Amino acid sequence: MNISKSAEPPKLLSCEQIDRSFGGLKALNGVSLSVSRGEIFGLVGPNGSGKTTMVNAITGFYPPDAGKVIFNGRDITGIKPYLIARLGVARTFQNLALFKGMSVLDNILLGRHVHMKPGVLSTALYWWMARKEEVANRQFVEEIIDFLQLQSARDEPVETIPIGLQKRVELARALVAEPTFLILDEPMAGMNQEEKEYMARFILDARDEMGVTVFLIEHHMDVVTGICDRMIALSYGEMLAEGSPKEVITHPRVIEAYLGGSH
Amino acid sequence: MFYRQAAIRHTSYDQTKKLYPIPFDKWLVVAVLLVALLAPFMMSGLYLNSYLLPWVIWSTAALSLNLLMGYAGQIHLGYAAVMAIGAYSSVHAMRLGVPFEFALILGGATAMIIGVGFGFTALRVKGLYLAISTLAVQYLVDWVLTHVPAIGGGTQATLQTPTPALLGFEITTDIGRYYLAFGWCALVTIFMLNVKRTGLGRALIAVREKDYAASVLGVNSYYYKLIAFAVSSFFGGVTGAILAFTFFGAVTPEQYSIDISIQILAMVVVGGLGSVLGSFFGAGFILLAPLFLNNMVTGMAEAYDFGVSRSILSHIPLILYGGLIMLFLLFEPLGLAKIYDNIRKYFLVWPFGFSRR
Repeated sequence: MNISKSAEPPKLLSCEQIDRSFGGLKALNGVSLSVSRGEIFGLVGPNGSGKTTMVNAITGFYPPDAGKVIFNGRDITGIKPYLIARLGVARTFQNLALFKGMSVLDNILLGRHVHMKPGVLSTALYWWMARKEEVANRQFVEEIIDFLQLQSARDEPVETIPIGLQKRVELARALVAEPTFLILDEPMAGMNQEEKEYMARFILDARDEMGVTVFLIEHHMDVVTGICDRMIALSYGEMLAEGSPKEVITHPRVIEAYLGGSH
Repeated sequence: MFYRQAAIRHTSYDQTKKLYPIPFDKWLVVAVLLVALLAPFMMSGLYLNSYLLPWVIWSTAALSLNLLMGYAGQIHLGYAAVMAIGAYSSVHAMRLGVPFEFALILGGATAMIIGVGFGFTALRVKGLYLAISTLAVQYLVDWVLTHVPAIGGGTQATLQTPTPALLGFEITTDIGRYYLAFGWCALVTIFMLNVKRTGLGRALIAVREKDYAASVLGVNSYYYKLIAFAVSSFFGGVTGAILAFTFFGAVTPEQYSIDISIQILAMVVVGGLGSVLGSFFGAGFILLAPLFLNNMVTGMAEAYDFGVSRSILSHIPLILYGGLIMLFLLFEPLGLAKIYDNIRKYFLVWPFGFSRR
């Protein structure tokens, strides 16, 4: 157990000096950050600053070229994405990654995969094996559906519902996995003010009621400064500033990166 | 009209997972099952052997391939070769004295082992490249069957199948053979229906649609693709053996040639990818449409004088057949099952047409 005497709360995730390049382009250059348990941690930066690459480095899609990712006291650098998911990391995608042709319910049920043991034998002997597991997991999924107010969309094919709801379905799919760490990659992109408020409320509720630590990438500064406890800003793969939302958005280098040098 | 969703209220999650929640669907399935079970006593041996039996067997083959193509989204152009492996292994096993039931399982297992072993290498590539590498299986198996006498029995050889026997009872009648094929078909159908409503089916569809999104949910896409290859090859192997034992009564390489692979592929595509019902429709269409068209054209030529030569006349059914496939796929790319589904959905809300989607 981690019995440290320092006042610092134990870190859930810490990234140390992450480097990642694509060909000649250095997408991430020595980025370090750490997220405490129960925090809502924001990551901001102009387009192409390496925010999504950072998420991909944490979740194992693009393993970092150098540096370390430590999650829950365990080195997860370079581990396959599906194994990282099983450790309790869930994420949503910037450009929705829902499964077309399936209902909203089936999409959300897929989020339970880490808690289920689907197999050939249990499928063949459905009535004696898979049935119980399916019903139990359905029960949990329904709780999240209630939580995110998705009842009316439950049986619709997922591609037919509005984009705001689809984003919510993706959040539901991530939440049913009961993650300890939830990465949201622009959950409010393309939403109107009302939908944004709903989403912000859901994120706060998820943290407060389910104890999820949230890692949030978002361009809507009002939301980020409103709900984040701490945040960092990136530009061209470099870290510009770190601290409370207010400190970060008033930091001269951040203002320069967003508005240019002679604003 | 007959389909009514009204007054169907589920009170538990278990009820929502029923295969046929709408009573009309359930009774339709029961009726079709009864007809299929009583068919041997209602139709002549000729019809049973040349229409119904092959339909049942090819539907099973299409269902097995549908698991791989429809669910996991992995194209397979050498499925007849998988069936050949199953057929030859079980015939050889029986000749060595293995009981029929175990010979079938052995045939399936051999097809599975070779299928998975091959899947390991083939799954390193995707899409068209996978298609081409599955084609290699077909040619490899064809070559082995014609060039290795210990397996194929020598060039141009035909191996007679021993008489199958279930639990000690020898199956010698047409009816017995039909029920054997029917029983296997029922098992595969039930499995495929269950795949639709369990985590296995969801994981396979996830892998098919977006493998990166699947992996973020903890789905190991390589593992599930291999599972699909394994199960599909096992079913294909047993179906190949059933085909040899009940329909042909012998095994030759021509029964499992590339033409047959393409035909099974056509059954799956014309019937509807990922659809259980579609596999039956597809197999029925690809198998029976040429026969019916042939009979129809010959019949019409005899009744009315078209004034065309015999050689042209023999090509008309083929032209019609190709045209029909194209028409069906133009009209509904998701196959015959989707056409059925559209009709069903129309009646589900009849007489109100507003909730079609």
